[in-house]
Amino acid sequence: MLIDSHAMLGKENHHSLEERELIRRMDLHKVDKAIVRPMGSELIVENKLGNNRVLANGSRLLALVSVNPWFGDSALDELKRCYDSGAVGLFLHPARQGFFPVEPIAIPVLELAFSFRWPVMFHTGTYIYSDLLAVGEVARAYPDQLIIAGFGGYADMWFELPDLFDEVENLYLDTSLLFSHNVISVISKIGSSRILFGSGEPRNNYAVHFEALKRHSLSKETISAIMGDNAKRIFNIK
Amino acid sequence: MIIDFHTHLDESWIGNKLMPEQTFLDLMNRYEVEVACIFTLEGFYGNCSMHNDNLAERARRNPQRLVPFATVNPKLGDQAVNELERCLANPLFRGVKFHTWLQAIAPSMVKETMIKLLKCAAKHNVPVIFHDGTPPYATTFQIAALARWVPAAKIILGHSGLSDYIVAAGQLAGELDNLYLCLTGPKSGEIKFLADTAGVDKMVFGSDLGFSDWRMLPECIDYVLQSGLHPQSISKIFYSNAVDLLDLKRRPL
Repeated sequence: MLIDSHAMLGKENHHSLEERELIRRMDLHKVDKAIVRPMGSELIVENKLGNNRVLANGSRLLALVSVNPWFGDSALDELKRCYDSGAVGLFLHPARQGFFPVEPIAIPVLELAFSFRWPVMFHTGTYIYSDLLAVGEVARAYPDQLIIAGFGGYADMWFELPDLFDEVENLYLDTSLLFSHNVISVISKIGSSRILFGSGEPRNNYAVHFEALKRHSLSKETISAIMGDNAKRIFNIK
Repeated sequence: MIIDFHTHLDESWIGNKLMPEQTFLDLMNRYEVEVACIFTLEGFYGNCSMHNDNLAERARRNPQRLVPFATVNPKLGDQAVNELERCLANPLFRGVKFHTWLQAIAPSMVKETMIKLLKCAAKHNVPVIFHDGTPPYATTFQIAALARWVPAAKIILGHSGLSDYIVAAGQLAGELDNLYLCLTGPKSGEIKFLADTAGVDKMVFGSDLGFSDWRMLPECIDYVLQSGLHPQSISKIFYSNAVDLLDLKRRPL
């Protein structure tokens, strides 16, 4: 099963992707399922709209929902609603949603997501708020939970990747914006069990990723782990 | 056919051996890169003159393929200006490269020298490419400011905003006549926005080849090919815009 662990739906600046178009691209590239999260205003402030957008898509698109932690109790209520509606994980964007990953404001949201046994993906790569190492600290604070470094620290935190992933065993890597050799540098250090193929659609795209994959000599087992098995396991996909 | 406007060809970087020259040339052949603008890496930290001479030597060995861009240390004041004059007096050099993040200086901290350096480049009619997209010394806004300081200089955002500054890069290159975009970093879904905002004539291709793994070259090519731009626009990005920026019609290699 080929699973895309990070695609985006909605509209943000010049990026725009509707459900039907994503399905068309998935069909073209034989992608079975995609984990989708909101973007733009539906990620930052209008969480319910964004969550409804990603929840409403049947079995091929699975919802990585989001709430802004500053919304307090209403954010927690929204997460509970999403859980009841079949969401598979939580996405947080510290830079866009305006909090530091280790600030107390994030704790209630994180701990509720963990109580659902959800993986939590953080946007990483933007200096200060979306610092890859700050997300590493969250993972260290909750060693029994699954934390995903969304975008893998792209662009200029690539040099932190191999050692951080070596040290923090509950941290997973989303490959969606990375150059392929940055992903390989992590695989060389820790193996493939914590690597999740993400397309980054509509920012990046399937065709570029699949061409890049062909240029590496990865074993069948590694490809299988990255392209689906790991996602199936951590998002509990049947 | 491609002109790669953003590559590094050096012996090593912080203790790591880099791609040998022949491997670099083989990759150019494999991916139909006719010409590469080559920059230092180790020279960002010191002894610019030696690294500039090394680049010139590589270009001398491959005069139709490798185009050296000089690097100087703007913290050295007039010594840097003199070094740039020395390099640009050599017809092999066709541009200037700064990496203010690795060179550890915000342009505004050495504004007087930067203006002299940019005027020197403008006098020789060569473009000046900067790393951009990384705070605190190389944000896209910091680099765009240089285009305002010296309107006669041709300033290139070496990464077109890289990741977080894409919107700003498109807007600024659209607004400032002398600010250009090198597509080393933006993904397919961002390249069309940059073309729509800045104009396709302001964009050149770059891959960072030589800096790291060779696969960066085909991956950067694919980003452009998958951008959804018209083939004519892609051809401008891959080739003819770079011909214009390097003034190759008047000054062939």
